[in-house]
This record gives sequence, structure tokens and C-alpha cells, in this order.
Amino acid sequence: MRRAWIVVWKDVLSERRSKESLNALVFFSILLLFVFQFALGPERARVEAALPGLLWLGFILAGLLAFGRTFLVERENDCWEGLVLSPGDKSAIYLGKLAGNVLLMAVVEAVLLVLFTVFFGLDFTGVLPALSLVLALGTLGLAAVGTLFGAITAQLRARELLFPVLLLPAVVPILLGSVSATQIVILGQPLAEAGAWLKLLAAADLVYLVVGVLTFEFVLEG
Amino acid sequence: MALRGLGWLAVLALVAGVGAAFGYAPREAVQGNVQRIMYLHVPAVLTAYLAFALVFLGSIGYLLTRRPGWDRLALAAAEPGVIFTGITIASGSIWGKPTWGTWWTWDARLTSTAVLFLVYVGYLLLRGMIDEPDRRARAAAVVGILGTANIPIVHFSVKWWRALHQPATILGPEPSPIAAPIMLTLIVNWLAFTLLLLYLVAKRTEISRLEEQHAG
Amino acid sequence: MPDNWSYVFAAYGLAGVVLLAYWRRLAGRAKSLGARGVRRGV
Repeated sequence: MRRAWIVVWKDVLSERRSKESLNALVFFSILLLFVFQFALGPERARVEAALPGLLWLGFILAGLLAFGRTFLVERENDCWEGLVLSPGDKSAIYLGKLAGNVLLMAVVEAVLLVLFTVFFGLDFTGVLPALSLVLALGTLGLAAVGTLFGAITAQLRARELLFPVLLLPAVVPILLGSVSATQIVILGQPLAEAGAWLKLLAAADLVYLVVGVLTFEFVLEG
Repeated sequence: MALRGLGWLAVLALVAGVGAAFGYAPREAVQGNVQRIMYLHVPAVLTAYLAFALVFLGSIGYLLTRRPGWDRLALAAAEPGVIFTGITIASGSIWGKPTWGTWWTWDARLTSTAVLFLVYVGYLLLRGMIDEPDRRARAAAVVGILGTANIPIVHFSVKWWRALHQPATILGPEPSPIAAPIMLTLIVNWLAFTLLLLYLVAKRTEISRLEEQHAG
Repeated sequence: MPDNWSYVFAAYGLAGVVLLAYWRRLAGRAKSLGARGVRRGV
């Protein structure tokens, strides 16, 4: 029963989002690329050196936009009460929204990777499996906190200010772990070298998910 | 009133602590008298951790029982928690200038403490933005719970991140081995700060209760 | 190493000022609330 909820939510979200958020987020990623290039100057070496950080900077900035809008649809269409009054385990809503966010970010990240390849002349093909694992672990953590805080700030007037203010300090471990692991993986080093970081990311993901699942119902009380 | 007594006790303990820090504790061999800042820095960070543990307690307590007293505790602990965290950072930075030559290094403890500071400033900002008491308490509780659960994760991630980029510093904030007078001074100051924290929490709680009575 | 007392005083001074300011703010609020609450028998 709960699984049905999740799938339903996922599909509903994907359908709605594909029209609005996805296009804008992809375009935003392209813009970020230009901004990074202009910020770091014409020397290619500088960009390459900063690559893991730039990647995750891009993901986090896109995530701020994407996660902040998690409950936008419900809010704008006066469906918030619908969420609040829905029967059953509210955590199913959290997981459904989370899954939708992860999918959205996956698309954005794939696009950003391709853009980096094209614009900065980089080649990720050799390291793609390992890189994908790092991306998955990092994105899961970002989305876990982002979805939870997105719900909290959804009802606030100052949500555009408060959401980044709450999210960024909370995901510092994800940022540190993901950038470090990406740095190791991108150089072609074996995945085992990044083992400690991957375990940290996995542990963080677990903690954030558990907190999210356990506390979401309290956020959604109206 | 018991609260007044606690306040005076805290003041007494603080006087003793500062006195010990300046008078009783020896001049440290390697760093000189600048090391005395540690009698402020270390107790401050310990007290901040205690404060955030109280925030955690209050957050869980409210979510489980919905009694406003728990939320009052959370808020009352968060404010001094942020202050003590700020003191930790400032004293660490001030200590660092003559010792390491710069006001800021991305030292593991300073960085972790700075992140902690940001998390709980955000907590207070969030509280400031919600007027309805129940919604405010619930939202704050969730943020508070995640913030506290994150503390060990932040600690390790920053520590490992530092290990990548910098060899371990020779001059740690605590001298080692720790001589008895130094340890004693640390403990006295730590107790004094703890008493101060408890007093501030109690006073802040009282204010919240009075405010609710007036509003209700 | 020179003693850098100015740094020590700066650190303690800053801490003291901040804590004092916070306490005074609390005391002030408590007083004004207490005055308003006289009729409620607080």
C-alpha cells in the first residue's frame, strides 16, 4: 500500500515537473557552466584543478532551486491541506517526494556532466561507474535533507532566503565527502581509495533518511 | 528565588575560574601566556555542546509530548548555545593569530564549530520567521534534531578533510601532557560555564513562560 | 614566545561583553514582563 503511494507520487511529480522544473534546471546548469568559466578565467588548468568542487557546486546550486520547489505545486494549488489530511503513513509522501527529487537531480547531473565534457574538453568515460556511485550517494544525502527542509520552508514567506540558509550548513559533510571522493575517482584511482569517504556519505545518507522519515509527519501537520 | 541563587553561584564560579586562569594556572612553556585563552575556549565549546544537547532534548520532548515546556527548553538552550559557539570561534581565532600567524585557518575544530554555529543560527532564524507556536515548535524541533544528529558527521568529515590537506599541527590547543594545575583550571572554568548556561536557560525559559501568559 | 597579553584580554573581554549583554537583555525582558504581569500574580 505504501509502495503504491510512492510510485503514484513519483509519477505525478515527474509528469508535472517535466514541464516546468526540468527545462529551467537544465538551462540553469548551462548558465552555471559559463559562470564558472568566467569566474575562473581562461586558463584551463585552473578549471581542471577545481573540477570536483565545481561539479558539486553546480549540483548544490541546482539542488537549492530544485529542492526548494518540492512542495511548490501543492502550495500554489492550495493542495497543502490535501497532504496534511491524507491518510496513512506520511513518510510515504516524504519518500515519494524524495524519489522525485533524486530523479530530477539525476537528470540535471547527467546534463551537467555532459556539458563539462563538451565545454572543458574532459573525458569521464573511464571513471563513469565509480563517479556514478559517488554522485548517487551524494545526491541522496542532498535530496534527503532538501526534501525535509523544503517541506518546512514551504509555508514561509521568506522561504527563498531561509531554505538555503538551513540547507547549506546541514549538507557540509555531503559536500566535503562528495568532493573528496570525486577528486579521487576522477583521477582514475581505484574506488577503494575513496572507501572512507564513501562510508561517510553512506552513513550520512542513512542518518538523514532516518531523521526525514521519522520527523516528516510532524512537519506536515498543517 | 532559586534562580537568583543559581545566578550568584554562577558568578562566583566564573570569578573563581577567571582567577584561576590568570592567577593559579602556570605560564605555559611553549606558547606563553597566550595559552590562557584555552581556559575560555575549551569550556566554551563543551558548554555549547551541552546547550545543543538540551536543544535536542527539548526538540524530541516536544515532538513526543507536545508540551510547550519542551519547546521553551529548546529555544532557551539554543540562544546561549549560539553565543558559546561564537565565543569558541572568536577565542580560537584570537588564539590562532599570535600562535599560527593568521586569524583563521581551516583547522578541524574551528571549522566544525563554525558549521555548528551556522546550523544553529539558522535554527534561530527559522524560529523567528514562524509566529504560530505549534508550527514553530515542530519546524524548529525537526531542524534541531537534524542539526544535532549531524554533529558527529560534521566532525568526522571535517577532520578527514583536514587530514588530506594539512599535516597535523604541532601546537594543539591543549598542551600535552596535561599538568594538574592546568587540568584543574580547565575543570573549574568548565563548571563555571555550565552553571552559567543552566542559569541562562532557566532565565530564558521563565521569560518564555511569562510571554505566553501575557499572550494567552 | 612573547606573551601577547593583549590577545588574552581581547578574547576574555569579548566573551565577557557578549555574555553580559545577553544577560542584560534577558534581565530587561524579565523585568518588563514582570511589571506587566503584576496583576496576574506572577
